[in-house]
Amino acid sequence: MLMYKLFLPLLISGICLQAAAQHTGYKPLTNADDFRRQFIKASQATQSIQCDFVQTKNLSMLSDKIVSTGQFWFKRENKVRMEYKKPTYYLLVINGNNIKTKDGQKENKVSAKSNKMFDQVNKMMIDCVQGTILTNSSFTPAFFESPSSYLVELTPTTKALKGIFKTIDLVLDKKAYSATGMEMMELSGDNTVINFTHKQINTNIPDAVFSVD
Amino acid sequence: MLFFRLTNRCPAAVWLLSMAACIFFCVPATARKSQYSHLKSIAGDVNCIRNFAPRFSNTLYSASIDVTTHHFSGILFFKLMPDSSTRVVFTNEMGVKFFDFAFTKNNEFIRYYVMAKMDKKIIVKALRNDLELVILHQDLSKALLLTDSVYYYTAIPTKKGNNYYITDHCSKLIRIEKSSKIKPVVEVQMLNYKAGVPDSIDIEHKNFKFNIELKRIEKDAE
Repeated sequence: MLMYKLFLPLLISGICLQAAAQHTGYKPLTNADDFRRQFIKASQATQSIQCDFVQTKNLSMLSDKIVSTGQFWFKRENKVRMEYKKPTYYLLVINGNNIKTKDGQKENKVSAKSNKMFDQVNKMMIDCVQGTILTNSSFTPAFFESPSSYLVELTPTTKALKGIFKTIDLVLDKKAYSATGMEMMELSGDNTVINFTHKQINTNIPDAVFSVD
Repeated sequence: MLFFRLTNRCPAAVWLLSMAACIFFCVPATARKSQYSHLKSIAGDVNCIRNFAPRFSNTLYSASIDVTTHHFSGILFFKLMPDSSTRVVFTNEMGVKFFDFAFTKNNEFIRYYVMAKMDKKIIVKALRNDLELVILHQDLSKALLLTDSVYYYTAIPTKKGNNYYITDHCSKLIRIEKSSKIKPVVEVQMLNYKAGVPDSIDIEHKNFKFNIELKRIEKDAE
């Protein structure tokens, strides 16, 4: 249980992030209500997402970084698979209330409903992908825009998340209202950026991809 | 009174009581005998174990940590800093940092960051002690060279026992043991050195389940 209390809030953040430092190139969005409507509409039209990702962990004090790559899948309702392939293997699958993680050594399964924290984390992760994060009370959103992108800055409101993250930023393509990247800013000054590439929307993804058995 | 009545009337009781006393007093004494008491002092250079100090420059390991029933995985990053200190950072696969420590050239410990939920004195202390064994910045001025006639034991005194670097006459590192006064409490294996850096590092605590397994990741694999 300790593992999930420690790790799952962190996993969430991996799903929800990217932005330019200090929001350079962005200005506050004047019509946030219109943005909310368009974002929710576009998200509801998204039945599935399949893409590659590149994750860059920037270690601020060390002037160094750790780069990871893998694949990401999402399917309505409530199905997410995130598979890290380099530099080390790691798998996270969320299927409804069930969560499976697997690393090079071990596989773990847990029911989100068995623990309040699991439930909260599960909800946040799915909310990020399904476009309902803007109504999730675990975050306070702020909206920005550049000529080509929207940036949603999510400030955690819960004690567990506030102890780890300063903000979680979600960058969206301005035409498709679809996430192109994410960034999580940690209290320590480090940040993690995830960029999505080769995105395929609404392709047929077999349910077996999200198996937690 | 009962003792005298029994011993006066029955010599066998004397024997039985003597045996009981012996079991009571002698067995615990035997159990407390140090597992290192057979080691003999030998002349030699204790500094030769510095050859087994990993020459980390910018090194990544895939990390698997088991603490009692809990399993953690992620990436452990060792970096040699310009001031010759070694920085150690542990993140999970999704990039979130759990701890960030430094061990100076003189083995002083600096904690730059520990995630609040992991910031327990016993956890930080165990991690510090374990990583000190691996990094080997320890002071060797009071170290002793011992032998069991098969291996060399370079013993570095600590507050609660010794840190033993057990080598095949200093040509190969067999294992490291952190000991209490009487027995090993932590065992470390560092295997398959390449360019001064071990491919795998295994740390096992003997008194409770706290195991760390590190497998080197080639940075080019990024």
